Amino acid sequence: MLIDFRFKTLDPIRNIANWILRPLEYVMIAPRNIFEAGSKYFITRAMLAQENQAIKMRHGELSLLANQSEFLMVENQNLRELMALQKQIPFKTLPVEILFNPPNPISQRIVINRGSNDALKLGNPIANDSGILGQVVRLYERSAEVSLLEDRDFAVPVQVARNGLRAAVFGAGRGNPLELRYLPVASDLEVGDILLTSGIDGVYPPGYAVAVISKIERNADKNSSNVFCVPVAAVNRYRQALAFLYDPQFDAKAPTNVNKSSSGTSATNTPGRRQTRARGMQ
Amino acid sequence: MIDFQSGYILRPVNPVFIYFSLFCALLLNLLPIGNYGWVPDWLILCIVFWNIHQHRYVSVITAFILGLMMDVHNSDLLGLHAFSYSLVAYVAISWHRRIVALTVLSQALHLLPIFLLVSLFPVLVHWLLSGDLYWWALTGTIQAVIEALLWPLAIRILLAPQRRPIDVDHNRPL
Repeated sequence: MLIDFRFKTLDPIRNIANWILRPLEYVMIAPRNIFEAGSKYFITRAMLAQENQAIKMRHGELSLLANQSEFLMVENQNLRELMALQKQIPFKTLPVEILFNPPNPISQRIVINRGSNDALKLGNPIANDSGILGQVVRLYERSAEVSLLEDRDFAVPVQVARNGLRAAVFGAGRGNPLELRYLPVASDLEVGDILLTSGIDGVYPPGYAVAVISKIERNADKNSSNVFCVPVAAVNRYRQALAFLYDPQFDAKAPTNVNKSSSGTSATNTPGRRQTRARGMQ
Repeated sequence: MIDFQSGYILRPVNPVFIYFSLFCALLLNLLPIGNYGWVPDWLILCIVFWNIHQHRYVSVITAFILGLMMDVHNSDLLGLHAFSYSLVAYVAISWHRRIVALTVLSQALHLLPIFLLVSLFPVLVHWLLSGDLYWWALTGTIQAVIEALLWPLAIRILLAPQRRPIDVDHNRPL
């Protein structure tokens, strides 16, 4: 135990055990999946029609927004180029399926069905349609373990959407609200503020929703405030999610280098064009 | 072996059944029920049972390997379950003469500390390593109590093949 905790040298053993265990886990997941498939099969026609209509409307709205955002993104990149700021990095996303969450009362993790074979890397963020879910913390060949936002001392650097104030959100363990730590009393925060990833760590791409502030306790004596927030993404609800194949090293390069590489690989990395799916996934 | 509950002599055990039951318990543990503290650990129930009744077939080593599997499944520190399972297997073997002679209910009471040890061991280790005590994880006591309550059921199921009668008289089935 100590060896694993301090030196992390037992990974080969873990990999072998995981290789034996994973098929069995898939077998045991099967009954649940069959049950869910069965209950989905018996949905009435009226419900389907209703759902279809709602989805069509949503699709219309979203495609309108998408057209607009493409335009805005190109404009933004051009402006950034004019101001000689660093460009936003395009990245790919990979759809993943959440297999199960391991019965471990101490940590909050989930296991997903993609691993290093699918170009997933250690530290890649996982998100669903509404916001960030967590980060890959242990990688196998065909699966990976993801630490959720609620995990104790799991930190995400964020920015308040309203005024751009930078902070870090910390997980406080299972069932507890997330915390914004190390903020002075006078900081400009309100209940209901949305926290977006700031992207300064190079792990999370900037501008994705993480949490909403739910409660603020200002403590004037100690010049500190306890700020509690709720994750935006329903952490324990859905089965599908997206992995961002966001490369932190790409972020850290010198501006000249970035310009060269973007001009060299023109087709894939043109600014303002974001590929939404990894190669080979189509 | 004598069945102390009924006073009869049991049939010899089938090793295949032992390993089959351990495998089934492992599969039950892999069921995606969710991250709840109270879900009973079927594997430790099975390991303790066979360590008490047939410690020549199921030893500390078996407990260690199965514990390693559970570590990987739970994404815990490698060796956490492996150590606690083998510790418990040792305790079960050293108590086995005393425990089989008791009535079923007092057996369950005797095994409660063993199950408590398994349930709370990860919490204690994390407390030692990181200095934080996870109060939430103390719901493991409920798990231990549930496992102790399942003990009579485990005896009923796992001893059933050995309790079959040797001569079956078809004219008088009882």
